[in-house]
Amino acid sequence: MLAELPAGARHASFANREVTRTRLDIALPLAQFYISRARATGDLRFLGYAEAILMPWMSRPDVPTAVLVLHATVLQSRHLFDASLTELDRALAKTPDDPQAWLTRATVLRVLGRYQEAHVSCERLAAAADPAINTLCTQGLSGLTGHLPEAYAAIAALPQQALPPEARAWRYSELGEMAERLGDDTAAEHWLRQGLAVAPDDFYMRAACADVLLRQGRAAQTLQLLAGYESMEPMLLRIAIAQRMLHDGSSAHTADLLASAFNVEQQRGDAVHRREQARFLLDVSAQPAAALAAARENWQVQREPEDLLILLRAAQAAHQPRVAQPAREFLRAQKLQDARLAPYEAAP
Amino acid sequence: MKRGWWVALLCWMGAAQAHISSNGFLVLHVQGQELTGSLELAVRDVELAVGVDTNHDGKVTWGELRANAPQLLQYVAQHLRLSTEARACVLNLGSLQVNERVDGTYVWLPLSARCPQAIGQLGIGYSMLEDIDPSHRGLLTLTAGAVTQSEVLGGTRPNATFEVHSPATWRTFSAYLQAGIWHIWSGIDHLLFLLSLLLPAVLIRRGRHWEPVSAARPAIFSILKVVTAFTLAHSITLTLAALNVVRLPSRLTESVIAASIVVAALNNIFPIVTDSRARIAFAFGLLHGFGFASVLADMGLPSGARLISLLAFNLGIETGQLAVVLGVMPIVYLVRASLVYRRAILPWGSAVIAAIALVWLLQRALPPVA
Repeated sequence: MLAELPAGARHASFANREVTRTRLDIALPLAQFYISRARATGDLRFLGYAEAILMPWMSRPDVPTAVLVLHATVLQSRHLFDASLTELDRALAKTPDDPQAWLTRATVLRVLGRYQEAHVSCERLAAAADPAINTLCTQGLSGLTGHLPEAYAAIAALPQQALPPEARAWRYSELGEMAERLGDDTAAEHWLRQGLAVAPDDFYMRAACADVLLRQGRAAQTLQLLAGYESMEPMLLRIAIAQRMLHDGSSAHTADLLASAFNVEQQRGDAVHRREQARFLLDVSAQPAAALAAARENWQVQREPEDLLILLRAAQAAHQPRVAQPAREFLRAQKLQDARLAPYEAAP
Repeated sequence: MKRGWWVALLCWMGAAQAHISSNGFLVLHVQGQELTGSLELAVRDVELAVGVDTNHDGKVTWGELRANAPQLLQYVAQHLRLSTEARACVLNLGSLQVNERVDGTYVWLPLSARCPQAIGQLGIGYSMLEDIDPSHRGLLTLTAGAVTQSEVLGGTRPNATFEVHSPATWRTFSAYLQAGIWHIWSGIDHLLFLLSLLLPAVLIRRGRHWEPVSAARPAIFSILKVVTAFTLAHSITLTLAALNVVRLPSRLTESVIAASIVVAALNNIFPIVTDSRARIAFAFGLLHGFGFASVLADMGLPSGARLISLLAFNLGIETGQLAVVLGVMPIVYLVRASLVYRRAILPWGSAVIAAIALVWLLQRALPPVA
């Protein structure tokens, strides 16, 4: 056997594609299906399949709002955040209170570290969405801008059982992340494991949980947590770090695999895994100077706390702490509280 | 090319494959009016393009692939167009093989093409999977004689034209030149080392005292020797490291670079080596070369233009270095006779440099506090 074909990636299912060009009620759920496959498996090809369905619709003069929002989601998943915002603005110009567009917009702006603008999007969302979603959206941002303990309490107080289905994993993920930033890894693990019980495919939470374990030196448990997720680069990266901790013989092979994957992505000009690449160069292949270069490039693309962390760590390891000065200024300006970043906060 | 040992690879690759976006790998060599090379497409992508899972069991076997080879060859011929000066070349595809890559098994197709005239300008139309996966890209490596270029094909740019003999080398060259200049300016440790060696170049040691040189000529000569030795040494190791011939752990080189500054600066206060600073410049220059190489490793060398980029980067370093020497040394020369220079600037300046470098040395050599 040469290759196993994942569900939804067969020639037969593409042969009758014509119908998606004329039937929006078929095109939208199919594109959505591919995006969700991409999220669940980390397989970026699925994003391409979704785009292929959306493309004919996007060239129309009257692009449906839902098509624009889905396209923005694809672009966001490729870390093409500016392009994603452009599509969302187009969508909102057509349908000014589309809740999905506002929510995606808030998410993208949050990843970009543009918290004040993200907050505005959350407020616009509030009018149309469930109050719990609204709390998650706004308190998630408050937690990044100087009100972490209060925001943590507010989200913890949301009754899990009464949440709409799409918010259940989100609440756990937010709580896990906040606990990490508060420096409470025990609570973080508790929330993230609960979240994974609800949404085992959420690879953001799985990666976060692996990080909590790695920070405590629990390498063997990290490998257990990530078994079966080897094909996703963010997971494979954490596997490589755990294997290194355990002096595992297969760590060299894992590192080679990751290096070739990053290499091809760089050749293509993809920025999807730049953060992982920086961390790989720092924690696996011990090239702090190259790690710093990747972390700086990544910082130009996205500004989540993890992006700050890798930039600060790489700058210190490469003996160029001043390079991370923009990150330190960002921390101060946003009043971002994060126990992981605290050791690097002082100016060099 | 990894042809031939894919079976062995299959065994130890195990289950792990990384998920990356869809890529085709196109390699082309130009010779006169002939093209030879290969195209690789993932088996998964081949399935989407022409459907090779004939029995619909969700698995593609070698037998299924071979049985569907004609359809595949036809698809490739329709989606890969080669031309020169707008005149089409005739494409020939060989028999398919497989190759293992990081995201799975790939079909490897040898290809050749004959163009109506000698190829100066090559047009490539690449539209594989365009309506199936718009994020698919063709990663091209194009060689003609000593010139290799890499490019990303497809997407919004399905048709591309290449000057096969004179690619966009100048762009690469100037980018690396600038990087070299910038690095010497921002990499203050290299400058401090060089300055430590150059500050006494306008003086001459007599007994226990520094005395100004009487004329410009010996000063220039002394500066020239130090700069040349430093340049020669770091160029050697930069080249060796950039081409992966020698590698040193960065903590070691960074620490020794800091140590070299301490040594050079202290030598100005408590002179031991006074007449052959060029030797110090050469010896430590070898290590500074590894430091430069780590910067270059950040940028990576473009696979097609490794030597030219390396040369440009090195020239950039020399340019930046020369600018500093030309800016600082005339002033130093003019003030060389003053007591302030000999009794204050040289010893105390060197002491400050030594102190800074000592802090670096401790930071770099000691393991980071967890």
